[in-house]
Amino acid sequence: MGKLNEIVKQQQQSLTETEKNVSEDIVQLVGFVVGDEEFAVPILSIQEIIKPIEWTRVPFTPDYVLGVFNLRGNVLPVIDLRIKFGVSANEIDENTRFIVMKIKDEDVAFIIDRLTSALRVKKKNVLPPPDTYSNEDDIIEGVGRMDDGRIITILKVDNLIRRNDIVPGNEG
Amino acid sequence: MDEIQELMEDFLVEAFEMIEEMDQDLVELENSPDDLELLNKIFRVAHTIKGSGSFLNFDKLTRLTHHMEAVLDKARKGEFIITPEIMDVILESVDAMKGILEYIRDNGDDTAPDIDIEPIVVKLDALVNGKSDSDQNSTKSNSSKEDESSSKKVGNINLDEITLENADEIDLDSLEPEELDAVLEHLVSLRNKPADKSENKQKEESKEEPVKNENKEEKKEVAPVKGKNLTSEQKKKEVKKTISSVADQTIRVDVKRLDQLMNLIGELVLAKNRLIKIYNDVEERYEGEKFLEELNQVVSSISIVTTDLQIAVMKTRMLPIGKVFNKFPRLVRDLSRDLGKKVKLVIEGEDTELDKSIIEEIGDPLVHMIRNSIDHGVEKPEERKAKGKPEEGTVWLRAYNEGNMIVIEIKDDGNGMDPEVLKRKAIEKGIITESEALNMSDKEAFMLIFKPGFSTAAKVTSVSGRGVGMDVVKTNIEKLNGIIEVDSALGKGSTFKLKIPLTLAIIQALLVASQEDLFAVPLSNVIETVRIVEEDIYTIEGKSVLKLREEVLPLVNMADIFEIEKVLEPEKYLYVVILGLGATKVGLIVDRFIGQEEIVIKSLGEFLKGISGIAGATIRGDGRVTLIVDVGSLMRLAKETHNKKVVTDSLHEAKKKKEKPEDYTVMLVDDSAMDRKIMRNALEQLGINLVEAKDGVEALQKLKNSDVDAMLIDIEMPRMDGYTLAQEIRKYNKYRKLPLIAVTSRTTKSDRVRGVEVGMNEYITKPYTPEYLQNVVRRNLGL
Repeated sequence: MGKLNEIVKQQQQSLTETEKNVSEDIVQLVGFVVGDEEFAVPILSIQEIIKPIEWTRVPFTPDYVLGVFNLRGNVLPVIDLRIKFGVSANEIDENTRFIVMKIKDEDVAFIIDRLTSALRVKKKNVLPPPDTYSNEDDIIEGVGRMDDGRIITILKVDNLIRRNDIVPGNEG
Repeated sequence: MDEIQELMEDFLVEAFEMIEEMDQDLVELENSPDDLELLNKIFRVAHTIKGSGSFLNFDKLTRLTHHMEAVLDKARKGEFIITPEIMDVILESVDAMKGILEYIRDNGDDTAPDIDIEPIVVKLDALVNGKSDSDQNSTKSNSSKEDESSSKKVGNINLDEITLENADEIDLDSLEPEELDAVLEHLVSLRNKPADKSENKQKEESKEEPVKNENKEEKKEVAPVKGKNLTSEQKKKEVKKTISSVADQTIRVDVKRLDQLMNLIGELVLAKNRLIKIYNDVEERYEGEKFLEELNQVVSSISIVTTDLQIAVMKTRMLPIGKVFNKFPRLVRDLSRDLGKKVKLVIEGEDTELDKSIIEEIGDPLVHMIRNSIDHGVEKPEERKAKGKPEEGTVWLRAYNEGNMIVIEIKDDGNGMDPEVLKRKAIEKGIITESEALNMSDKEAFMLIFKPGFSTAAKVTSVSGRGVGMDVVKTNIEKLNGIIEVDSALGKGSTFKLKIPLTLAIIQALLVASQEDLFAVPLSNVIETVRIVEEDIYTIEGKSVLKLREEVLPLVNMADIFEIEKVLEPEKYLYVVILGLGATKVGLIVDRFIGQEEIVIKSLGEFLKGISGIAGATIRGDGRVTLIVDVGSLMRLAKETHNKKVVTDSLHEAKKKKEKPEDYTVMLVDDSAMDRKIMRNALEQLGINLVEAKDGVEALQKLKNSDVDAMLIDIEMPRMDGYTLAQEIRKYNKYRKLPLIAVTSRTTKSDRVRGVEVGMNEYITKPYTPEYLQNVVRRNLGL
């Protein structure tokens, strides 16, 4: 992981030679919209981003677990972040995407309404989530202030879903 | 270092294999103590382990095996008969040896602080010394006596004493002709072997210190040094020969590689299924075309090869069940001695092969069941005598193939089980109610012993009642997709049958649809499928049952079990899958049978695994995921559902009846806004609701999100045309009956045929009168 980070950084360096602030710690994020809010996750936690694939419902799961789908021979769960965040679910349209992320060594897909862009935020511009945020599940890593003044919520990928919430009382 | 590591691994594998065999041989030996063949075999095992052990510097192991060897050697030479008491000591030492080997496996050295070999060594020594003290220190006189039975002795000459060095001392003139022949032959054979011998010597010399010590020790103890060495060397060679000849024909393969191979085969099976599906689609569309024949040949040859390949790979993972059975003679012997019973174990079909992963899982349940048979089944000798049975009870352990399953049968000729006693116990323990007990068949009563918290043993012995009940056995067997059947006759004995599928990864399944959702049911648990009408369902005390021939089965709607939303209107016929698990049967109402298919089981992943009723998922020919039901937990869920839901009610939950025109919605699909307008104008007069879509993609999306009762579809549209749209819609179970009306200016016959093919109900050509359109829509809605 560290090495990859370095390589990515080096690439940036060559791309943005005019700026000499690369020595500063920069977080690379991918931004997306769920409902009417913009979120972001670290680029390295993303496995791939794909167009929606038909899924199969799985009984006895919370409603934000839409089901499972076949990604090149692997069976992956798909989670609707819109339902998880309590936003009314939009229809699936041409902008809808599945973001496949690795959570505890398992690939999980999340439905998002649309991608925005890859973002680069200086670490010092990432602040801990304000107390006013409801962050009971500890799913918010922090709040990033963009250079253009936008505020983006950065999610803690590892906490987005928990096994205990999905299949209660069934450990391991 | 690596070489040593490799050597050690080989040593351990070999040692464990030998020990397993030895265990069985030892018990057999007790029954026929004078079987020289058997004794020799056991002796060789101890000897080989000692030899290899000393080479690897395992002093403790060497010391133990050395003493074992001494005892076995005496027995082999007929100096004492093996009594059960001697056997106990030998078995104890075998256990210690196992313990040390396990310690070596885990830690790499043989210090094994938990295992104290001294008391065992003392006991072994006592056997050697006690029985034949005088023999111990003496030399030739008794060695010639020892060798009386061996072929090495001819007349008065002991060939073992003759070597090339002392050959000159023999007085040839005094020999009888046949003695002379034998001596000469012996000398020739000695001369022919020098290369071998010197090699061996070199090897021995190059060995490390402890080996030399070991050799010295051996020399000290064993009387006629030269002769003795020769025979043991020959023996070693013999053992080596058999081992190397086996080794030439087999390769040890890492199980991970086989697993990987199995996974790949799984993918291949999925691809094959997909190919078959595509072929079927193509066949429908291009009937009579020439290339179909060729395609058919390719598809069928691929599916044959895939199936063969699957079987071949499965076979590489197969092990004879004897691997598990081998440890049971010892278990039975120890148990029956502990319990003061006489039990004979008869093993049959140990060559029957099973997947390695199943072999690993099956051992513990079997141990438990055999314990159970001996502890609860077989009676004490006096009791048996009083009943007129032979004093010695028999337990049969049998394995055989039955279709796609392996059956393992554990049968005893003991006391059998009394269904009434079992029922009473179960009621006392609150496992079942009085009324449940009344309706229970004998077979169901026998299955009670597998309920958690049920134990018929009046007292807890060291054998039973260790906190692991028969319920664990049942769960373990069910985990392997297996089933247990019990039969018992009071006073005559009980039979337990474990039926286990040959492999875990790929199974035959029945695909069924419950409402919109497909499920795969393992075929091994499907007893039959039946078609019934609602009148066949009876409701007794608020519970729905199906009378099938002479049986009354609980009936549950699958949609109720999995809490699936009901969208389909009930039809005249109901489809029922009769599921069987052991003695329990349940009727499961589904909405459609799809068919039988070979499926590859995939895990649902860390987050979703363990959902009740679901064992995993499989990927179908069309790339979609289908869930596989876990019959064990499904049965439990079915029972809960059965208690609270009446099937006949649930069948009518589907849809509210529609009566007025406002209850209906019709979708208009056309890329031309003007055409949509014309349709809208005509249909608004009917008072029905209208939804519009400008192409097939949008229509499909809107269809899923709203409740539509009929669709008017244009054929020529961008993105997705009308034919494709109709085809897509018909893929859904729920829309099988949705009226689809083509509205188009295409008028040729082939267009119409195509429309029917893709599932259009009607075909209207433009232009049309408003009245005509209204009539068609009204007719299709049933207004």
